[in-house]
Amino acid sequence: MATTQLRKSAPGKPRFRKSWLPAHMLVWAYAVLLAIPLYYFLASAFKSNEAIFSSPLSPPTSFGFGNFRTAFESAGLGSAIVNSGLVTVFSLALTLGLAIPAAFGLARSRGRVASLVEKVFSLGFLIPTFAALFPTFLLSAVTGLFHTRLFMVLFLPATAMPLSVVILIQFMRTIPQEMEEAARIDGASTFGVLRHIYTPMCMPGIATVLLLNFLTFWNEYLYSLIIIGPDPDLRTVQVALPTLKSQIGTDYGVLTAGTILTLVPVWIMYTLLQRRMQQALVSGAVKM
Amino acid sequence: MTMASSVRPASRQAVPPAPAGPKQRRGTRTTVLAVPALAWYLIFMVGPMAAIFVIAALHWPGMLQPTSFAGLDNFRVLSDDPVFWQAVRNTGVQLIIALPVMIVCAYMVGYYVAQKPPGHRVIRYLLFVPGLISTPAKAMVFYAALSPDGLLNGALKSAGLGSLSDAWLANPDTALYCLIALDIWAGIGFTAVLFAARLDSVPEEIGEAAQLDGAGHWRAMWRIQFPVIKEYVGVVAMLQFLWTLFGSAQQVLLLTQGGPANSSTTLSFLVYEKAFMESDLGYSQAVGVVLFLAGLAGLLAIRRAFRQSY
Repeated sequence: MATTQLRKSAPGKPRFRKSWLPAHMLVWAYAVLLAIPLYYFLASAFKSNEAIFSSPLSPPTSFGFGNFRTAFESAGLGSAIVNSGLVTVFSLALTLGLAIPAAFGLARSRGRVASLVEKVFSLGFLIPTFAALFPTFLLSAVTGLFHTRLFMVLFLPATAMPLSVVILIQFMRTIPQEMEEAARIDGASTFGVLRHIYTPMCMPGIATVLLLNFLTFWNEYLYSLIIIGPDPDLRTVQVALPTLKSQIGTDYGVLTAGTILTLVPVWIMYTLLQRRMQQALVSGAVKM
Repeated sequence: MTMASSVRPASRQAVPPAPAGPKQRRGTRTTVLAVPALAWYLIFMVGPMAAIFVIAALHWPGMLQPTSFAGLDNFRVLSDDPVFWQAVRNTGVQLIIALPVMIVCAYMVGYYVAQKPPGHRVIRYLLFVPGLISTPAKAMVFYAALSPDGLLNGALKSAGLGSLSDAWLANPDTALYCLIALDIWAGIGFTAVLFAARLDSVPEEIGEAAQLDGAGHWRAMWRIQFPVIKEYVGVVAMLQFLWTLFGSAQQVLLLTQGGPANSSTTLSFLVYEKAFMESDLGYSQAVGVVLFLAGLAGLLAIRRAFRQSY
């Protein structure tokens, strides 16, 4: 590579010399561009419309939770959070219930059928789920599950299957076969091997799959909008949130407060599991 | 996959060869465990995907209306519809601006972060934020920033540039560019994290050797590190391409509804609009077919452009 063209240079140069200055400035400028809207949101959540318009970036003068309460009540965010939570948790459980045995079966067998099935799963990355919005809606109507959360719980794991199976297979392939042989000698069944060896040893992989899908399921919008619909008793937070925006005079304090409420679960996860979350997203994209 | 199977035999040498036979047969039988997952995936994803092509060949003027076979009629209607061509143009503009800006900037930011300059932890944390936020939340951020009473106009006014303020999302000249800005704003940070993570795993000797050779950071960034991760850049570009092409429907729906005067209608929003707002189902899915083919063509082109060249 280029390293073969040797040139002499003074050793021990500091790594970030003056020539880095433009880079520092540009990257920090972008970081500020990311941070300002967040700050604006946080500050506005405690302000009234007038205060937001007159001085958008000044810190709030009082920290009342009035806007949060209004958002909670007017958009029914309370029940929306429960709905999102239900859909997310059950979808995650079903995803793992389907993906772990599938990955286990495919990782262990070297037959031609298995590698074909694996290929079919990895081709799934190329299917843009959005394109099939209308046929999926038809499917929900035909099965009589239109306007139910149940259909989302059935549907979301299917969209997560390619990524989850492929990631779990990678993890399961790293488990030495000797582990299984030892367990077999002790009389373990196939399910015993899966339960007592593969599942515990794949915990990092399972965590990756869980985090990745948690983000996708919690943040899902278009399908929830069409299939679950706008009924306040059933809709998810992502569907409820835009209803805070109105054609005639939006209350920005309430809008920003509501948006912040929908971010809380993700925020907690991210702050607790920052490193793991980044790894999860990175490995999720790499396997595409 | 090939990697794993070529590694396996080495680790198996420690085991007596006798159990190899029955084990392999048992292994094949466990493929059955993949059947539920496969069925799920075929029913809910592959099935609907295939249905697009069927519906595109039907006259279907509304959910409860009778259908009849249309052949290529929907495509003929499509090609005579100025709205469709407007959407093609908007999608083209969106991709041509958003993709290069996003990939180039994200690569540079990712390279910067991977060098671990002072404060890189703070930057990494911030960069990742758009990756966590849902599309409706991102759209609400932009709605609050760009509406007539919003952050941008407020900032312009207090900077004495009030004459520049505008109803950004309601102006046919700026609506589409606002949507593109949203894509870029959110896309750079998240993509940069992906690049930084990939660059972290490039052996350090490569960077050090370049430094010893006296390569400036610009040269090190583009001539040395970039070729090493070129294939990965291609994969990320393919992802961003798909997200932009298919995902734009959500942003458009949330922010402009395609307006004013179709100035921000993208192809994917047209699929949504025709299906759920105008109940022209055959037409809608015909656009879906076009979108699918465009996606396929784009993926192949990007793959070709980023093929490893050494």
